Amino acid sequence: MTFRNTLAAEVRKTATLPATFVALAVAVLGPIAITILNAFTVRNALRTGRVDLVADTSPVETAFAAIPLGTVGAVILGVVVISSEYTVNSTNAGGGRQLTATLTATPGRLRVLAAKATVVVLLVAVVATLTIPASLLLAGQIIGSGASTPVGADGVLSRSVGAGIYWALTALIALAVTVFTRSGIVPIVVLVVNSSLVSVSLLLSYLTSLAWYLPDLAGIRLFAGHLTTFDNALAPLTGGLVMAAWAAGLLTVAGAVLVRRDA
Amino acid sequence: MVAMLSVERLVKRRGSREILTDITFRAAPGRVTGLLGPNGAGKSSTLRILLGLDRADAGTALVNGQPYRHLRRPLRTVGSMLDGSGAHRSRTARNHLSWVARSNGIPKRRVAEVLDQVGLGGAGRTRVGRFSLGMGQRLGLATALLGEPEALVLDEPVNGLDPEGIRWIRGLLRGHASSGGTVLLSSHLMSEVAEVADDLVVIAGGRVVANGPIREVTVGYPSLEDAFFALTAPEPTAGGR
Repeated sequence: MTFRNTLAAEVRKTATLPATFVALAVAVLGPIAITILNAFTVRNALRTGRVDLVADTSPVETAFAAIPLGTVGAVILGVVVISSEYTVNSTNAGGGRQLTATLTATPGRLRVLAAKATVVVLLVAVVATLTIPASLLLAGQIIGSGASTPVGADGVLSRSVGAGIYWALTALIALAVTVFTRSGIVPIVVLVVNSSLVSVSLLLSYLTSLAWYLPDLAGIRLFAGHLTTFDNALAPLTGGLVMAAWAAGLLTVAGAVLVRRDA
Repeated sequence: MVAMLSVERLVKRRGSREILTDITFRAAPGRVTGLLGPNGAGKSSTLRILLGLDRADAGTALVNGQPYRHLRRPLRTVGSMLDGSGAHRSRTARNHLSWVARSNGIPKRRVAEVLDQVGLGGAGRTRVGRFSLGMGQRLGLATALLGEPEALVLDEPVNGLDPEGIRWIRGLLRGHASSGGTVLLSSHLMSEVAEVADDLVVIAGGRVVANGPIREVTVGYPSLEDAFFALTAPEPTAGGR
C-alpha cells in the first residue's frame, strides 16, 4: 500500500524530470542512429566487394555493435534519478535540495531506493523493447540480401533479451554508485567513458583474467557475439549472474549508506 | 496536556565537535512555539533530527510519541519546510506538489488548493529554478500545508518574504494554532518571533538557554531583544555582541 504510493510518486518524479528525457533519447536514438550508420557502411562494403573493410556483414552484428550507446543512456538514467535529489536549487529560489522533500514525505529510505530502482528497470525495459527490435529491423532492411546471417537467426532473441538485461543492470549499478557520490558528474563521466570510448575493464583483462569478473565485462556475453575480443569472457548465464550479483551487492551497500547517512 | 512534538536530551556531534547538547523542549497543540537563536546555534540541526533527516547521537525527538521515521504517511501529521522549497529546479511547482501528494496518498485537488492558498495560483506551471526567494518560500509552505497536517515545522519561514507575505504567514500560523494545531518555527529574528509565538525556546551554542511562555522568558528584561542578547551572549554575560 505505502510502497505503491512511493512507487507512484517516483514514477511521477522521473516522468517530470527533463534529464530523464535526455537519458531516454540517448538510449533509444543512440543505438538506432549508430545501427543505421553502420548498416550503410556494411551495405557499401558488400556492393563494392570490399568486405574486408568491415568487421562483420551480418545485420545482427551490425545492430548489436550499437548496444554500447544504449548502455550510455542507461547509465545517464540510473545516475539522474539519484543525482537530481542532491541538486542544489539556485540561491535566488531559496536553495535547498529535493532530498529534503523526498525523505520528509517518505522516511523509509529503503522504500525510496527500491522504488527508484523499480522505475529505472521499468524504463529500461520499455527502451529495450523499442530500440533493439527497431535496430535489428533497420539493419536487416538496409543491408538487405547478401548478409551473412539473417535477422531471425538462432540466438538473436536471447541476445536481445540479454542486451536489455545488461542495460538494466548497468543502470542499477550507476544508480547505486551515485548514492555514494551524491553528485552525478563523476559517475556519468567515468561510466559513460568506460562503456563507450575506452573500456578500462577490457584493458585490465589483458593484464589479469580476473577483469572478466568486473561488472561491465562479466555480462558482456549477454549480448555480444563470438568476437575474438571476448573469447575469454564469462559464458552468458554465468556472466549475467556475476553482473547481477554486482548490482545487488552495490544496491545493498547503497541502501545501508542511505539509511545511516544524514540526509 | 499532550505535547505533539517533544525533543528530549538531544545530542549531536559533527566530528569531534558537539553541535547540540541536551536539547529538551516541547511544542504543544494550540500554541506557536518559536525556536529562537543566532545563526549556527543549532536550530536547523534540531529540526532536521525531529524530521528524521539527521540522526541524533543521543536523546529522542518524537511526534505524538513516535519517531518521525515510523510515521506511515508523515505529511498528514507533520508539514515541514527546511531550506527552500525542496523542489528540483527544473520541475514546475505543480509537478513538484503532485509527486509529493502522490507519495502520501493526498488527493490531487489539494495541489491547486495549496497553490491558491499561498498565492502561487498563477505560477503553478513555472519552473522552480526561475522562482524568487519569496516564491520558493511560498512553495515550501504549500508543500507543508499539502497534507492538512496537525503540526507545522518551519525553518526560518519568513526568509525572503516581503512585508505583505510576512503579515500573511503570521495570520496563517496564528490561525493554525487557534484551530488546535501545533506550530514549531525557528528564526533568528526576534521581532518576528515576538509577533507570533506563545512559547519560546532560546538556543545558543547548541544548548537551550531559556524555555517557556514568552512573558516568562522575557521577564526582568526591558524587551525581547534585551532578553535575547543577554541569554545568547557568550559568557561572561556582556551587553550586545
